[in-house]
Amino acid sequence: MTGADGSHAGAVAVPDWLVQQDVALCPCGCVGRRRKASFLTRTIRGGSGILQQVLFGEDVAAAPGLLQRIDPRTKIVSLLALLVVAGLAHSMITLAALYALTLGLAAASAMPLGFFVRRVWLFVPIFTGIVVLPATLSVVTPGHVVLTLWHWHGVAEGITTQGLLAAARVVCRVAASISLVVLLTLTTPWVRLLAALRGLGVPRIVVLIVGMAYRFVFLLLGSVTDMFQARQARTPGTPRHDGTARAFVGAGVGALLGKSAQLSEEVHHAMLARGYRGDATTLERHRLRAADLGYAAAVVVVAAALIWGDHVLVPR
Amino acid sequence: MHIPDGYLSPQTCAAGFVVAVPVLATAAARVKRRVRTRNVPTLAVLAAVSFLIMMFNVPIPDGTTAHAVGGALIAILLGPWAAAIAVTVALGFQALLFGDGGVLSFGVDVVNMAVILPFAGYGVYRLVARGAALTARRRVLAAFLAGYVGINVAALCVGIELGIQPDLFHDATGAPLYSPYHLAQSIPAMLLAHLTVAGVAEGILTAAVLGYLQRANLPLLRVNHPGVPVDAAAADAERTRRRRLRPGVVAAVVVAALVVLTPLGLLAPGGAFGEDSPQDLRAALGLAAVPAGLAHYSGFWHDVLFPGYLSGSPWTYIVSAVVGIVVVGLVVWGAATLAVRLFGRRVPVPPPAAEREDTVEQVTDGPAR
Amino acid sequence: MSHADPTSHADPTPDPQELLVCRHLSYAYLERHPALDDVSLTVRRGERVALLGANGCGKSTLLKVLDGLVFPDAGSYTAFGAPVTEDSLEDEQMSRGFRSRVGFVFQNSDAQVFSPTVREEIAFGPLQLGLSRDETAGRVDDVLHMLGIPDLADRAPFQLSGGQKKKVAIATVLVMSPEVLLFDEPTAALDPRTRYWLVELIERLGTAGRTIVHATHDLDLLHRIADRCVVFSEDHRIVADGTPEEILRDRRLLVEVNLVHPAAAAVG
Repeated sequence: MTGADGSHAGAVAVPDWLVQQDVALCPCGCVGRRRKASFLTRTIRGGSGILQQVLFGEDVAAAPGLLQRIDPRTKIVSLLALLVVAGLAHSMITLAALYALTLGLAAASAMPLGFFVRRVWLFVPIFTGIVVLPATLSVVTPGHVVLTLWHWHGVAEGITTQGLLAAARVVCRVAASISLVVLLTLTTPWVRLLAALRGLGVPRIVVLIVGMAYRFVFLLLGSVTDMFQARQARTPGTPRHDGTARAFVGAGVGALLGKSAQLSEEVHHAMLARGYRGDATTLERHRLRAADLGYAAAVVVVAAALIWGDHVLVPR
Repeated sequence: MHIPDGYLSPQTCAAGFVVAVPVLATAAARVKRRVRTRNVPTLAVLAAVSFLIMMFNVPIPDGTTAHAVGGALIAILLGPWAAAIAVTVALGFQALLFGDGGVLSFGVDVVNMAVILPFAGYGVYRLVARGAALTARRRVLAAFLAGYVGINVAALCVGIELGIQPDLFHDATGAPLYSPYHLAQSIPAMLLAHLTVAGVAEGILTAAVLGYLQRANLPLLRVNHPGVPVDAAAADAERTRRRRLRPGVVAAVVVAALVVLTPLGLLAPGGAFGEDSPQDLRAALGLAAVPAGLAHYSGFWHDVLFPGYLSGSPWTYIVSAVVGIVVVGLVVWGAATLAVRLFGRRVPVPPPAAEREDTVEQVTDGPAR
Repeated sequence: MSHADPTSHADPTPDPQELLVCRHLSYAYLERHPALDDVSLTVRRGERVALLGANGCGKSTLLKVLDGLVFPDAGSYTAFGAPVTEDSLEDEQMSRGFRSRVGFVFQNSDAQVFSPTVREEIAFGPLQLGLSRDETAGRVDDVLHMLGIPDLADRAPFQLSGGQKKKVAIATVLVMSPEVLLFDEPTAALDPRTRYWLVELIERLGTAGRTIVHATHDLDLLHRIADRCVVFSEDHRIVADGTPEEILRDRRLLVEVNLVHPAAAAVG
């Protein structure tokens, strides 16, 4: 006990209100109003959603299955080929066949089919179905009216054959395309995907940036979640959508930028310390095996068959 | 704003890559030159920040929330080229990891959100914040406008890209192959959402972060603002040395804006109101004869350079357009020159040298231990 | 306490036992916030040196100078007989030699673990320094086994706990087999078990003849991981240099440099 006033030297002066044992600012039960999820909850939920999604993806990628055994480079190239087929197809039958193909591949790759279908079709109706619904009307897509809804200056207006066809085609095309991408990303561990990009001629520096950014997303995600949870803990009642909320988001992103600037400096030092001189070498090395060549050949044959069939079905 | 696969024709997607790849290559080269070995961690961190910004829900005044892209913000802090790379990587994550945005349409998405957004936003910011001190309120306003305008210009481009699909790509029956909406529908749909909601979110985010950095982290703000005075007093001293309005620049900006906005003309159905030829007017209104005054004066001026835009081949149409652009540019330039002569009495002094290129080197040399 | 005396080393031909030699170093962040003020220090082969001082006294900055990451505003730094400057490190040969002989374990493991997987992270250093892929892969496996973490090899860093991350960070440095190891606050924020594991590792490295310099304010374990202590004052100068016993006995000094709380000093 050396302090002149009898307390520890340098002890923190604690204000009286913090020492008192009374209740906090507002003695509350559970009678508050509830409202729909605030921006805080939504942001926090978004963060944990990303983590869950990534961890689930790693699980599927580790399962034994057809696509898991294929070299990621082969998978990327064949994905692009099939996406172009989906883009060029005119006939609904071609698109349906392509979608059936993705279902078959998913089943062969130890993917829970229900999950695979849900993942695609939960996304499709929201972003595509509703969006293209008005396109079936003659005001958007003029043509042969099959279902008259109203008259405009004596002309029948309503749903047209062309509109229905166009809408159905867009929905199927989007569903097939998303299924193809989901197949690739769920059956390939992130690291091997990066290595494959490198193997396909994407500049090393870009791959390095992408890999590191992936790492930082999770690091900074932790800070963001902490920040929002700290505010949630300090916000009694429902957070309001007012100036202070906006200022909080501003300060949050500002602090995030400051923190990341510091982080990038530290990482730069850590890289220099281990001999980085501006051009990184990486460990990855892959050999194409017979299975990969077989898969690639199969994809080429299927793609060619689909294109040919599409031209037969819809001559142009 | 993320266009998924299936909405755009493969041809449009290819065009997107043709634009995106050289721009990104230039961006990588420029950023590399400015930050040397530090580029990798800096860009990686920025990409992560951009990805997370797309996750931040910004409360907007009507009680709902929206998310921003952050392209304008990064452009203000580290320049539009760095922003292009950071947002591209963030978009890559979304496309490959989370299925948000397409793989074939990746090039087009990059052009919209990683190129057009940051460059448009940064241009607006430079224009509005010109000559303001680093801590001035005007910079906050400039940041809001940068975000707001940036994301809306990008949305306009999305609207145009989607809107040209049904006219360019349809089958024999006229049924569209890809996105079914015409320009007249896709542009208002995109702009309505962005002018009211997403634009506000991007603007608020950009302004709020800039305001926060003005108070809490000036060194970070100074990185991309070399030579900008910190407070109002220093700004006044600086402003007297600034150059005046440059008529050439004004003319170029006006002409560029007109050219960019030209596709909007496709929105209007039919001819322009009140510009019909006398015969068409008579037919449309069912008049017995062309009104006498109209008949008399409509032929008054007929000694034109390109009668009827030299109608015939599309090339002559384009030539007429180019001549028109040049003439409009010259007129604006003349007007601006006149304005400077009449109102700008300040003595022109050459601007201070050393205005840029010193940058990211010092982003992070803060007193961190 | 003779090591800190710069005048005794005025000899132009370097003593091969003196690995790292700093003379009259000064450094300020942004040319405004001082971090080192006239610091001289010589580290001899096989020594285990602890840099002691309160937060912000300049220990970390000195470690960064020793690793050639920041360069002093004044004074000179020589490693293995060659001057280390921004210029000399531009030289490929010099840089490669220096980087492979000096390893740095950063305080913030998150900064050091930046690759997508643990395996790639550990391989980063040897690959940059020009080791072949096969040799690197072999070394990575050896280090993983030595540290008892082979099961972490294919994990992503965000799936690691704080202690595991520290082990990976140490592995990234050990894989290059450096002569000199620099540790910045190695035991900070570790659980007791990992902390003792680390102390034992440092002891083992010391008996294997490696030179170790670490910044710390962990006084409890000092006698096990250091045979020499250098004490920094809060005005960024070296104020004492001696054996751990000598330093720990000098309570007045420790209070003065803010390493122990006066109340604790009174009790002890």
